[in-house]
Amino acid sequence: MQNKTSFIVAGLLVVGAMIYLIVSSTGSTAQYFLTVEEILAMDDEAMQRNITVSGAVLGETIVYDALAPRVTFTILNVPADPQEVERRGGLARVLHDAVQDPIGARLEVVYNGVKPDLLQNEAQAIVRGKMAMDGRLYADEVLLKCPSRYEEEIPTQVDD
Amino acid sequence: MVGEIGTLLLGISLAISLYAAYAAWRGIQLSAVPASSARSRTWLQSAQNAVYMQAALLGAALLILLVAFLSDHFEISYVAQHSSMVIPVYLKISAVWAGQEGSLLLWCFLQALFAALATGCASERARSLVPWTTVFLSLITAFFVAVTLFLSHPFTLLSQPPLDGRGLNPLLRHPGMIFHPPALYVGYVGLAIPFAFAMAALITRRIEGWTAAIRTWTLIAWLGLGLGLLLGMRWAYDVLGWGGYWGWDPVENAGLLPWFTTTALLHGAVMQEEKRGFHVWNMLMVIFSFALVLFGTFATRSGMIQSVHAYTVSNLGGYFLTAIVVTLGGSLALLYARRAALKDSSPIVEGLLSRDGMFFLTLALFTTLTVSVLVGSLLPTLTEVFSGQRFEAGPAWFDRVTGPQFAVLILIIGLCPLLGRGVAALQRLRRLRWVVIGGAMTVPVAAGLTGFTDVFSLIGFAISGFAGAATLAEFVEGVMTRRKRTDEAPLNALWQLLRLQRRKYGGYLVHLGVILMALGIIGTRMYPFEMQITLNAGQSTAVKGYTLIFEELKTAFIADYNATWANVSVYRGDTYLTTLQPQLNRYTGDQTVTMPALLPGLHEDLYLILSGWTGDGTSATFKVIVNMLVNFLWLGGLIFLAGGGLALWPRMEHRTWNVVAFSVGLALLFGAGWAMWGMPHGSVDYGDGRPLVGQEAPDFRLSLLDGGTTSLKDLRGQIAVVNFWASWCPSCVEEMPALQDVWEMYEDKGVTFLGITYQDDVSTVRSALTQYGTTYPVGLDTGDRITDRYGITGIPETFIVDADGRVAHVHVGPIAAEALVTQLEALLK
Repeated sequence: MQNKTSFIVAGLLVVGAMIYLIVSSTGSTAQYFLTVEEILAMDDEAMQRNITVSGAVLGETIVYDALAPRVTFTILNVPADPQEVERRGGLARVLHDAVQDPIGARLEVVYNGVKPDLLQNEAQAIVRGKMAMDGRLYADEVLLKCPSRYEEEIPTQVDD
Repeated sequence: MVGEIGTLLLGISLAISLYAAYAAWRGIQLSAVPASSARSRTWLQSAQNAVYMQAALLGAALLILLVAFLSDHFEISYVAQHSSMVIPVYLKISAVWAGQEGSLLLWCFLQALFAALATGCASERARSLVPWTTVFLSLITAFFVAVTLFLSHPFTLLSQPPLDGRGLNPLLRHPGMIFHPPALYVGYVGLAIPFAFAMAALITRRIEGWTAAIRTWTLIAWLGLGLGLLLGMRWAYDVLGWGGYWGWDPVENAGLLPWFTTTALLHGAVMQEEKRGFHVWNMLMVIFSFALVLFGTFATRSGMIQSVHAYTVSNLGGYFLTAIVVTLGGSLALLYARRAALKDSSPIVEGLLSRDGMFFLTLALFTTLTVSVLVGSLLPTLTEVFSGQRFEAGPAWFDRVTGPQFAVLILIIGLCPLLGRGVAALQRLRRLRWVVIGGAMTVPVAAGLTGFTDVFSLIGFAISGFAGAATLAEFVEGVMTRRKRTDEAPLNALWQLLRLQRRKYGGYLVHLGVILMALGIIGTRMYPFEMQITLNAGQSTAVKGYTLIFEELKTAFIADYNATWANVSVYRGDTYLTTLQPQLNRYTGDQTVTMPALLPGLHEDLYLILSGWTGDGTSATFKVIVNMLVNFLWLGGLIFLAGGGLALWPRMEHRTWNVVAFSVGLALLFGAGWAMWGMPHGSVDYGDGRPLVGQEAPDFRLSLLDGGTTSLKDLRGQIAVVNFWASWCPSCVEEMPALQDVWEMYEDKGVTFLGITYQDDVSTVRSALTQYGTTYPVGLDTGDRITDRYGITGIPETFIVDADGRVAHVHVGPIAAEALVTQLEALLK
């Protein structure tokens, strides 16, 4: 009986430790995953955290300084919900519509690094970084996805 | 025509799969009635034949798709999208599974093949489970064939076939991509077999024997997943050029999750075979492994999980979700209904600090790891439900949550062999205490002395050292015990041990591999180093004890891409190590692929990426990444695979077959090792490397064209301008008038010029000298003797050696008269 109890206690400890790790890590290292509209509606406190945002790249706004190297560009709001995306005719369509929308929510992104080659008009950008006082998002990482070139993306990991 | 045949084959195999399931079910029904046992056997035999047939048909369908790729049938939409006429044959093969449709067809074929093998070659003990297994496997095959046929059809025809295909995504143009997806699919598909056997065991209430029936298939699936994950990691490291190997991406996690549960299952099965319980747990692990395979497929193809790496959103999501719900609901209900039969017959007899306890903790930890990674992958969805805001789990989240759990698992790897069974365990523990304490001390001390000082990493090193020592002690003790009995030589005893107790020592080899991988993971994850630098041509920089010199930028047009690479010489202190050539390929259509260059080492890899450059190539930007201990990860991976292969290999009576299998296994391991450490990976040695400014210029003796010889030593006290050139090199002859002019200016001021030609012949050199009016001494470098000593990467190159025989200036590429004059004036002052 005593043995059984020790097994149960050990099991509970393991599960408890896992729950603690998940909850505390979510508090400290998880990032907000937002749309452009949501970022613009955020309060100041939330601005302090690392955020991840997905949006459509507006090609004409891409400015690249090769010497720094630094690239700035504007992304436009696209819905985060995949079902919503499907309803509006697929990702390529949603991205295309987003950059045509003159009044869509937009956000300027600054990325200190070499211009990723997939950074082009109507690409989907997933940007990780922090908001600054100037209202721009300073990105640590820019991931891009172009639905037009290859019908399917790569089956495993592709970072920039 | 080819496309129509493919469609037809898929349609027939769907019908046959459904028939196989029905025939097996019918056979089971009839077998219940004693009078109809002959008819039952006929039905069951028919079902078995149908299973073979579906494997043959799907194999033919896959073959037809392969033929369509090899012979450029661009009227098939899938071929047009993933191939083109110019790509080499091996890439056309890997293009078969480069997209969703083809990979699903491969999946179907493997599913049918495994079903045929598993039911056809079932062991005597598992025979009674085969009819129900056939029902389940045929239904699973039917599901995948239906999805392929109706929703993701690889043989869809285009009404207007293009003249050429769109080509294969450049990122997938890597030999590893031929093996990575099939290996992973072997893992995914293989997990359906244990699931089907487990369901059959539950239905027929034959609970005891089923783990033995599925052992081989579980191991195959587990090893396939492990191999697929390792290949994927290495591919990411070699090709993707972000310096890492694992990014906790949902697609990666989809492969990792079933690997966790299968690992747990392998351990639980050992316990069950030793009659120590774990019945329910093993059933749960089988069910969840299979459900996680479906979930992984669903998650990566439904767009539910945000990932830039995932397949594009497709319409498969709903069907897979239904399949998951049916699978989980049905199997868990069945499990509940059979709970009485599953009740552990053996009560827990030992305390937590025992072998049983360690196995229990292992299973518990793999379960929590599975839950953790699952929660992490679903975090945006979960947090939205609970808090209304979406949070995303990045690599930091996963490292923090899983790191401690992995650490405890490694600790258990060390504890388990020490604890052993019963009373003898205590004596063993006493005998080995200094060995394990030694291991736990040595590794962190060695790490501390070589620059790893973070406290948490030192704890990790101590745990790894402890576990490594305990595992190695198992081998040593096994050899010693055997030698007492047989008096064999130590190596022979070890060989016999590995040969006769494959599962046990294969398992320990896997543990050793995991421990080594842990060292690599600690090194890379806890000591990341990455910086971006911009260098002008000829400029040097010091990074992490290395001196990097950006020599020049080169470019060439190759097949359908434009390659640009930089020559970066790497020195440690004054010693030349190698020249790295990070490359960037720009494909037509503007996609780029970075080809990192790396200098591997036991302590670290120097990993260099060319990220950009100015238009004229005078300055370039690099990402310098230093990956600590990363080679322990790859070495551990190889040992891991070797151990898994050893445990998997069946007992063969024929000695010849064993020798063949052993040789093939060894050759594969050496091949993998060679691919990782033998191949250059963008690193080229240019002789002894170019001497640095300030270093003594390597001496040489040169026969001059006009007779006589000269050596650099003879020129001491004078400034020597040594120009490497060739008459066949346009930019060399272009600079010759300038060199002649400067030579005439400084001839009387204590400056000597010396031309050294590279791979040239006397007559053309002579005519070039006449043509350009060159009068300073020139000689031929026969056998590249001197160019090697000066580490010439390309001509022309000019070295200025001062009066003391030291290198004062190096110029790569054609030099202008003004620049040469400036340098000489500075030296003459």
